[in-house]
Amino acid sequence: MNALERIVSTVNFHESDRVPVIPQVFGHAAALSDVPLDEYIQDGNTIARCQLSALDYYGYDAIFTVVDVNIETEALGSVLDYRKNQYAVIKKYALSDDNYNIDHLAVPDCKKSGRMPEILKAINLLKKSLNNDILIVGCVLGPLTLTTQLLGIEKALYLAIDAPERFEKLLDFSCQVITDFGLAQISAGAHLPIVFNPSASPAVIPHQFFREFEFPRLKKMFHAFKANGSIANWLHIAGPSDSILPYYSEIGVNISNFDYCVHPQTAMTALPHTCLNGNIKSLAFIDDNANDIRSASKQLLNTFSKRGGFILSSGCEIPKESRSENIAAMVQAAKLYK
Amino acid sequence: MDQKKINALIHYLLEGNSQEAVIYAETLLNEGMSKEQIIMYGLEEAMLQLGTKCTVEQFNLLEIMLAGRSVMEVMKCIYPEGTFPEETKGTVVIAALEGDVHDLGKNILKMVLMAKGYRVIDCGKDCPIQRLVDTSKEHAPFAVGISGLITSIIPLVKQVRNALNAQGLDHIKIIAGGAALKQSLKEQLNVDFVADSAFDGVHYLEQIRGS
Repeated sequence: MNALERIVSTVNFHESDRVPVIPQVFGHAAALSDVPLDEYIQDGNTIARCQLSALDYYGYDAIFTVVDVNIETEALGSVLDYRKNQYAVIKKYALSDDNYNIDHLAVPDCKKSGRMPEILKAINLLKKSLNNDILIVGCVLGPLTLTTQLLGIEKALYLAIDAPERFEKLLDFSCQVITDFGLAQISAGAHLPIVFNPSASPAVIPHQFFREFEFPRLKKMFHAFKANGSIANWLHIAGPSDSILPYYSEIGVNISNFDYCVHPQTAMTALPHTCLNGNIKSLAFIDDNANDIRSASKQLLNTFSKRGGFILSSGCEIPKESRSENIAAMVQAAKLYK
Repeated sequence: MDQKKINALIHYLLEGNSQEAVIYAETLLNEGMSKEQIIMYGLEEAMLQLGTKCTVEQFNLLEIMLAGRSVMEVMKCIYPEGTFPEETKGTVVIAALEGDVHDLGKNILKMVLMAKGYRVIDCGKDCPIQRLVDTSKEHAPFAVGISGLITSIIPLVKQVRNALNAQGLDHIKIIAGGAALKQSLKEQLNVDFVADSAFDGVHYLEQIRGS
């Protein structure tokens, strides 16, 4: 059973040889190869090379082309500040006037806009190298997260309250941008684009807000991805997602990330038929030691042993400064404690 | 004191209705209520109720942002640009450190602190430690608040204590909060308190001030 088969089997609650293990290794792959992060996030060849090295080093079951949360907003005109060995940050938002007029914005051509072509190149290179042995994961933002990245989170949320019609127009536009980018990633060879949606966390918005604004758009996006070859719909919302998990089935989520602050039992109860991935605390990969990570991994494996439908993972991104022996300990745990 | 109007002010603050909250604050001022009383019985009470609600129920930023925006509008109305209350509960310097451009958490802490009657000096986001130290020397705060959304700033947070001590500012308490920092223990960050939320942080400050 190869890694892709293992994951597909697990997502469908079928028997597999062991629990899949997917550390969320994004920028850490650059650190492992001694490549400055600012170089890594701008070049498709480097992304693919570093990710393949990290995969080879750790031996986990999926590979990511996640770089940062600014790919889409940059393609739409936001100006980024690339700092030495850091993730890029937004210097000027694409929608910086007070009217948030989107009439001048067009859905970007993924083959030409910003770093989108580099992401597609990375996916393409990974596909050529790995074919269908390992899960190749692309990445798009959720509609709310892209909207907050277009004008700033405070302004976006105030707009939702002060001018809901304009806010919804923006959300719909974001949804279109993301859907196009996700489909381009599938065409380039990704088995699925993970939907990364930090702004939709209940730490930021009430669950009613999620239900009204984000739910229908996520559902539409996931439907489009599935209809165009995505092997599963993977939603990643960090933080205390307890109150929105019950919506995931109806949205069409097949793999649900749950963060360290969500109890595994809560996630299992909310989503009895959905594959779950999580939930070792991200910072533990810096602060703790290999024994701690091994022990936390073993505990999660025991918790899910009867249920199945579980991918051992971190609750969110593994920080780039993480100790490699800690990541290795999690991978080993999945391979040892079947 | 017109309790009915104070209750209306609290209601509109919690609802995030800035317009109505400002109207009620102006009415109370015109009727002779002092600015300090409006803060104490109106703004502080609203923050207390919001803090309780956010502890008992789900904590979310949007609700706090909306109430906070109303609080800031009322503050602007009773203390026009550039003026501060004559008496405050003390000064707090806040910042998001260099490399972190996310300032939503910091801004929320600022709103809650101001509504509670503290003077807040905001060093902004992407703030070098030296600016934080210089500002602390200038404004003599009793506490410094650091908000952090990304783990990469943790090494900087650890340096703040020594940087303050080197300038003889050992007495200043340091509180840290935000999605990345709240995963750590205070010992790991070399700070006095790690807050789970803005209200948690303010509660700690109230405790050390004895109020």
